Amino acid sequence: MSTRSVQPALALAPASEAGRAPDGAQDSGRFILPGMVAAALLIWLACMATFLLLPLDRLPLYFAARYLVLDATSLLFVLVINTVFLGISVYMFSRGRATQELTRELRRRALWSSLFMLVMNIGILSNHLILQWALIEVTTACAVMMMVRGRHGAPKAVAWRYMLYSSMTLAISFLGFMCLSQSAHLRDLHLHFHLDQLAGALTREKDPWQRLGLAFILFGLGGKLGLAPLYSWLPETYEAAPTSTSALLASVQFNISVVALFRVLQAFQGVEPGFVSQELMLMGYASLVVAAIQIMATRNYKRLIAYACISSSGVIALGLSVGQAAAYGVVLYIVSNAFVKSLLFITAGRMRAVYGSNDVTTLAGVIRVLPFAGMLFAGGIFALLGFPPFASFLAEMLILSGIVQAGNLLAFTLMCVMLTIIFVATGRRIFPMLWGTPLEVREPMKESKLSIIPKLGFVAVLTMLGTYTPQVVTQLLSAVARSIGGT
Amino acid sequence: MTLTLMLCLLATLVPVFFSRVSAAPVWLSVQALALGWITLNQHHSLSLHAAFAGIEVLLVRALLVPYLLRSAMAGQGHAQVSLMPSNLFAGGIAVALIIFAFKFGDGARADVRALTLGVVASTVVMAFLILATNPHKMAQLVALLFMENALALFESLMPEPWPLPVHLAISAVYILTMALGAWLVADTQAVEGDLAPALEELA
Repeated sequence: MSTRSVQPALALAPASEAGRAPDGAQDSGRFILPGMVAAALLIWLACMATFLLLPLDRLPLYFAARYLVLDATSLLFVLVINTVFLGISVYMFSRGRATQELTRELRRRALWSSLFMLVMNIGILSNHLILQWALIEVTTACAVMMMVRGRHGAPKAVAWRYMLYSSMTLAISFLGFMCLSQSAHLRDLHLHFHLDQLAGALTREKDPWQRLGLAFILFGLGGKLGLAPLYSWLPETYEAAPTSTSALLASVQFNISVVALFRVLQAFQGVEPGFVSQELMLMGYASLVVAAIQIMATRNYKRLIAYACISSSGVIALGLSVGQAAAYGVVLYIVSNAFVKSLLFITAGRMRAVYGSNDVTTLAGVIRVLPFAGMLFAGGIFALLGFPPFASFLAEMLILSGIVQAGNLLAFTLMCVMLTIIFVATGRRIFPMLWGTPLEVREPMKESKLSIIPKLGFVAVLTMLGTYTPQVVTQLLSAVARSIGGT
Repeated sequence: MTLTLMLCLLATLVPVFFSRVSAAPVWLSVQALALGWITLNQHHSLSLHAAFAGIEVLLVRALLVPYLLRSAMAGQGHAQVSLMPSNLFAGGIAVALIIFAFKFGDGARADVRALTLGVVASTVVMAFLILATNPHKMAQLVALLFMENALALFESLMPEPWPLPVHLAISAVYILTMALGAWLVADTQAVEGDLAPALEELA
């Protein structure tokens, strides 16, 4: 075995145009990365202040001519995405400080990320279904601009496929809106796409147009969430995109699609419950099966995280299919997943920067070389697999208990079997990567404290949600769970 | 209204069956002209809102985007391929889908509404068919633009026009799809261009 000191892969790569060290002309952009962190911090503080100072019983609040609404759902998700973004922005800032070659590139990405977050916040607060739909499309465009900055594979080709899939899935949802409008028209009603008025145009009687509309909307949004069968964009996108972009897609854009799904479920509460349940259950199981098979086959840790995201979407769909008993567990699972995915992707980014590879074999024994990153990655994997003391453990237990309470023992058994397969398959790939015998002996590498802070923050949030959840957080989670039919 | 809808339908079906990708900007313009006419005339009186929406449709969908698409296609050899592969199988499926799309609109009580639903549905399924059968990225981009025009036509089914912010957001999506799509396609099609004759044979 040869011995060599670890050199960041980027330092070995030829300096590209985008990778030149900043010169005098570029100094005007030196405030971009710190500016992004400062803006993220300010917005996060504003969100926290709103959350802590505004009583939940004063919600919903409408503003901007009722196009935007602050209710429990939008408050929770705005809080989650801005917390995640604060962590990701600190990570990007630390990467820019540690790797001068990346500074210029990171500045561009920071500008797109900021625009992405701005649209995302407006989208989550949106009180109009079509407006929210259009804003999801705009976030896709911002994500494309961040994705093409990837240095691995063919990022533009992947970005194109991502855009195609996104447009297709959203077009399917739009067809659903059209069917709902037709259903209302046939009952001499006018369908307003304002979310607070949507429920009034629905009927509790069997209506084929309404059912078709619901089917299209769930199928389309399911594709945006990475649920089978429209999942194939997700693994290649998450793999090819720069890691901060993968984290934003998995933890932030995923959540706006969840919000859109919640809005539909809120409007359809008590309407077609059996149909919603069956469609979500079918897509949930298909996703778990796809994820289990693909995790067994892959040797690429970024892809593995991506397939784990598909399995998480499957668990969420299954939880939502059960309805009231599992609603709190689903909301907790979604929140914890945002932090788990961010933690895993930004830690994976650190490992890829050092090793220049996504192959688990190349990274064997990574914990000896990158002790902090390795430990945090291990923590993220345990959280992903639903181990205590993380919130995902509690959430999975609540979802499983909800399935049992609903009396669906077949669903319970199938979910347990699939999660066990995913657990074993993930362990077989990741544990040798973390603790296995390295192919080459490498010196342990120092890691900047700044890059560790956001990851530790994510671990702290996950542990807090899994062990001691403050009363205000529980109240907010419960309010969101109640809005989708929870008890 | 019926004539305009028929024009919109023809502007989708003719290029799918008989046209090359290079002619798509013209057909997109025709679709948008029909769409603009419908937007301007869908209500009894021409309000400021309807006038703005109609002008916006004409400027963005009939002029700007087709112009950008034509510019993106300039000098691209494989803009000469058929929009949908011209074989009996694809043609047969397309006809079946169009019949199905109009059956979909049959449930509507009013004739114009049924026709509008049929036009929207057939444009969307044709777009999906192009995406499924044509490996050329420029053709796929045209399919996306067809699809978004169909979604914009959906507005004519509403008793009131969409609010201005919704209009602006949907137009922004259309322009972004065009601009980003053309940029991504331009970079990846150099490789594809070398394979164009082989792909055409396979299709």
